[in-house]
Amino acid sequence: MAGCTFGSNPGRGDGSRDTLVVGTYSSLIDSPSSSPGAWLKSTFEEEFDIDLVWQTPSNELNHYVQRQQAGVDIEADLYMGLNPEDLVRVDRELDEALFAEAGDVEGQSDIKSGLQFDPQNRALPYDTGYVSLVFDGTEMTAPETFEGLLADEMQGDLIAQNPSSSSTGRAFLLHTVKEFGPDGYLDYWADLQANDVQVLGSWDDAYSAWGSGEAPMVVSYSTDRVFADESGANLEEHRIRFLNDQAYANPEGMAVFADSDRPEAARQFMSFLLRPEIQGEIAVRNVQFPATDTVILPEDYAELAREPPEPVTFTYEELQGNVSDWVSDWERQFAGN
Amino acid sequence: MRRVRAGIERRSLPMLAAAVLALLVVLFYYPVATVFVDAVLVEGRLTLRVFASILTDPFYLGELARLFAGDSPVAVLRALLSADRRLGIVGFTAYQAALSTVVSVAVGVPLAYLLARYEFPGRRTVRSLTILPFVLPSIMVAVGFFAAFGADGTLNAVLGAVGLGPVDLLPSLEAIVVAHAFYNAPLVARITTASWESVDASAVETARSLGAGPFRAFRDVVWPQVYPAVLMSAALTFVFTFGTFPIVLALGGFELATLEVFIYGLIRDLAYAEGAALALLELAISLSVLYGYLRYEAAHTVEAGSIRPQERRPLRPPSWSLRELLPRIGLAAYAVVALVLFCLPIASMVYASLSGPTGLTLEHYRFLLERQVTGAAFQVRPWPAVRNSLLFGAAALAVALPMGVVVSVLTTRDYAGRELVDTIAMAPLSVSSIVVGLGLLRGLVFGVELGGVRVAVGGALAIVAAHAVAGYPFIVRVVAPGLASLDRQLVESARALGAPRARALLDIELPLVWPAVVAGAAFAAAISIGEFSATAVLASGTGQYTMPIAIERFIGRRLGPATAMGVVLLVVTSGSFLLIDRFGGDRVGL
Repeated sequence: MAGCTFGSNPGRGDGSRDTLVVGTYSSLIDSPSSSPGAWLKSTFEEEFDIDLVWQTPSNELNHYVQRQQAGVDIEADLYMGLNPEDLVRVDRELDEALFAEAGDVEGQSDIKSGLQFDPQNRALPYDTGYVSLVFDGTEMTAPETFEGLLADEMQGDLIAQNPSSSSTGRAFLLHTVKEFGPDGYLDYWADLQANDVQVLGSWDDAYSAWGSGEAPMVVSYSTDRVFADESGANLEEHRIRFLNDQAYANPEGMAVFADSDRPEAARQFMSFLLRPEIQGEIAVRNVQFPATDTVILPEDYAELAREPPEPVTFTYEELQGNVSDWVSDWERQFAGN
Repeated sequence: MRRVRAGIERRSLPMLAAAVLALLVVLFYYPVATVFVDAVLVEGRLTLRVFASILTDPFYLGELARLFAGDSPVAVLRALLSADRRLGIVGFTAYQAALSTVVSVAVGVPLAYLLARYEFPGRRTVRSLTILPFVLPSIMVAVGFFAAFGADGTLNAVLGAVGLGPVDLLPSLEAIVVAHAFYNAPLVARITTASWESVDASAVETARSLGAGPFRAFRDVVWPQVYPAVLMSAALTFVFTFGTFPIVLALGGFELATLEVFIYGLIRDLAYAEGAALALLELAISLSVLYGYLRYEAAHTVEAGSIRPQERRPLRPPSWSLRELLPRIGLAAYAVVALVLFCLPIASMVYASLSGPTGLTLEHYRFLLERQVTGAAFQVRPWPAVRNSLLFGAAALAVALPMGVVVSVLTTRDYAGRELVDTIAMAPLSVSSIVVGLGLLRGLVFGVELGGVRVAVGGALAIVAAHAVAGYPFIVRVVAPGLASLDRQLVESARALGAPRARALLDIELPLVWPAVVAGAAFAAAISIGEFSATAVLASGTGQYTMPIAIERFIGRRLGPATAMGVVLLVVTSGSFLLIDRFGGDRVGL
C-alpha cells in the first residue's frame, strides 16, 4: 500500500537506448533494510544496454488491473511480485488477458516444480517465502502442531494478520484450510478465537505488537532470523516454528504484460532473473528463498534462513473460485457481532 | 479604472463561488461518483440488488436487517431490546464511534477551558501543539500506543515500579476509543477554544452585576455560546471515527472490524459493487449525522460578534480560597490524564526512534542521512519529503482558505434547502478514503476521453487541489457559524455606504471571526501535512512524495527508520506552527 509511481514517463522513443518498465511493490526497491531493486537495475543495465525503470503504484498489481478495466494503456512491460491468489483475482475480474504467456524464457526449466503455480504458464516464480511462526524463545516454546495452539497455556499468545489485506495473514489462513479442510477450518478458528488469538491488521501492525512484547508468537516469515542477526538482536528471541513440520509457501512470480511493446526485453529480464548468480542475490537481498534449484546460498545466510521440511501450498485450480469465499466466510465468523 | 476595480469587486464572490464549485466537481464529486456508480450499475444494467442484499444481511445491519427483510417493526424492536441482540458491523461501527465521541469531548472540553480561560507560560505553545496528533500516521500512533500502554510498555513499567500491575490494555475496544480521543480531542479543544474566546466579557459582567453567581453566569451566558462548538466538534468526531480504518486493526484486531475495514477489503479484492454500496451506506449515515447537526446549528444561531474577550485568569491561584482552588485542582488532575494520553505515546515514539537492540542509538537517524545522501533516484529520500510536505501544505492552505470562506458565505445565506447544500459541501469529510483514492485514479490519473484526446491530471497541482478539498470543510465548519451570528446590521451599513460584498467580508466580517478562521486554517494545513492516500495516488514521476509516504516506505522489520521519520514529521510540523505563531503573534493565534 505504499508509495508513488516513479518514472512513469520513461521518455521512450528518444532513439538512444531501449527502456524496460517494471511494475512492482515498493519494498522490492525501497525497503529500509535491504532490497534488490537498485542492484538488479545496475547489473541488468550494464549487461544489456537497456534502461530499467521501476514503477511502484500505490495499489500495486490492482493499479494495472484498473488501468485495463478503464481502457487506458499499461505503461509497464513486466510485473514482479505476483502470487497465486493475485493471479486468480486478475483472471476472475478481467475478460481480456492482462499477462502474456512466458513463452521461451531461458532457465525456466530450473524452477522448482513445487513452486510453479500458473497452469497457463504466464507467471514464473523468481523467489519464494515460507510463512511460519516466529516466537520468543526466552519467554516460551511454541507448540509443534496446530492443535497445540489451542492449549490453555497458549491463551492469548499468538498474533496473526488480517487475511484480506495481508499476505502472511492469508497464507496462515490458507494453511489452516489445508490442514483442516474447507469444512473444518472455521471450527478450528472458532477454537483459536476462544483461545484469544489476536488478528491485527497488516504484517507491520502484528510484528511491531509482537516486538513490543504483546504476545510471544507471531505469524511471519521463516527468514526472520536473517533480519534479527543483521540488527544485532538476540537470536533466542527470534525462533522459528514450523507447525506440523510444514510452512505455507508464498512464491512470488513475474509475468509480461500482454500489451507490452518490448516483450523480448521483458523475457530477457526474466531469464536474467533466473540465472543462478542472480537468484542467489535476489534471495539474500529480498530475504527470501530462490525459485530455482541451481543456487548455493552463502553459508551464513543458509544457516539463518530456515526452510520447512515440508512446504505446503494450494494450486491455482484449488484457489480458483474458492479463495475469496474462504476469506469472507472467515471474516463473517470472526467479526460477527 | 476605479470603475473596473469596483466591477471586479462586485463580481468577485460569484466568480470565486463558480471556481470553487468547478474545483470540487473535478477533484471530488466526479471522481467519487465514478466509484459509487458501481453500486447500482452492474454489468451495464441499473440494479438495486447489491443494496438489497446488504440491507437484508444481519452481518452488516444486525437486527435492523430483519426490518428491511420485511419483519414487523415490533418484533425487530423487541429483538433490539433483548440482551443477545446483534448489532451487525454497521451497528458496532456506530457504537464505537459514539463511545469515541463521548471520550473525545470529555477530554477536549477541559483542555479548551484551560486554554481559553487561563493565562500561563507556554499557553500559546500548547495551543499550537494541539495540532500534532492530527498529522500523525496511524502506524506511528499504534507504535506509540504499544510502546506506552503495551505489555512491556512505559505505563506497566511505572506501575511495576510502584508495585502495581501489570495491566493488559491492548488490543481492545478501549484502546481504539482512547486512540480516537488522541486524534480527536485536540479537534474538540481547538474549535471550542475559538468559540470560548469570542464570548463577550461585558455580557458576563452584566449578568454578574445583576446578581448572577459565577455558575449561573456561565450557564446562562457562556455555555450557550460554547455549546454549539462542542456539538459541532462532536459531530465531526463521530463522522471521522465512523470511517476509521487502520487504527482499528492495529490496536483492536479483526474482532472489532469496522465498516471501513470491509470496504477496503472488498475494493482490494476488486469487488467494486459491494464495496461501493457499503461505502454509500457509510456516507449516508455520516451525512445524516452532519445534516442533523446543521439543522440544529441553523435553528440556534446565537448573536455574537466579540467586542471584548474575557480576561484570562492566572493559573497560579491569586488567593487560597476554595472557590479559586477547586477549578485549579480539577485542572491539575486533568493535566495528569492529558499527559498520559498525549505525551506518553509521543514520547514513546521518540524513544523508539532512539533505541536499538543494544540500547540508545542514533543509528536510525543515520539511516535517514544515508538515504538522503546515497539513495537512488527511484527511492524516497527524507529531505524532498519534508520540502514537499511544507510546499503542499502552504499551497493547499492558500487554496482551502478562500474556498472555505466562499462556501461559508454561501451557506449563511437564507434559502430553501440550505442545510442540504451545506451537508453536501461537507462530503469530503465523510467519504471513505479508499473510495476517494480509487476515484482519483479513475477520474484524474487515467483521465477522460474528450473529443478523441485523453485528458489526465496528476502531479503536484492535483495533490495541492486534493489536499485543499480535504481541508476546506474545516474552515467552513468553524467560520460559517461565526459569520451567521454576526450582527447583520454591520454588513448592511457597510453595503449602504457603497462597499461591495467582498469588501465588507474582508474588512468587517472576517476580522470579527478571526479566531475561528485561524483554527480552521490550522486544521486545513494539518490535514494536508498528514494526508496519505490521495497523495500516493496522484504523485506521478519522481519527487512528489511527502513525509507520511516516506514514513510508510521506511516501515520494516525494525521500527527505527520509520519512527525516526515520524519524529522528523513531528519536529517539522511543530516547528512550522510555532514559527507562524511567533511571527504572527496573537493576531494569527495558531
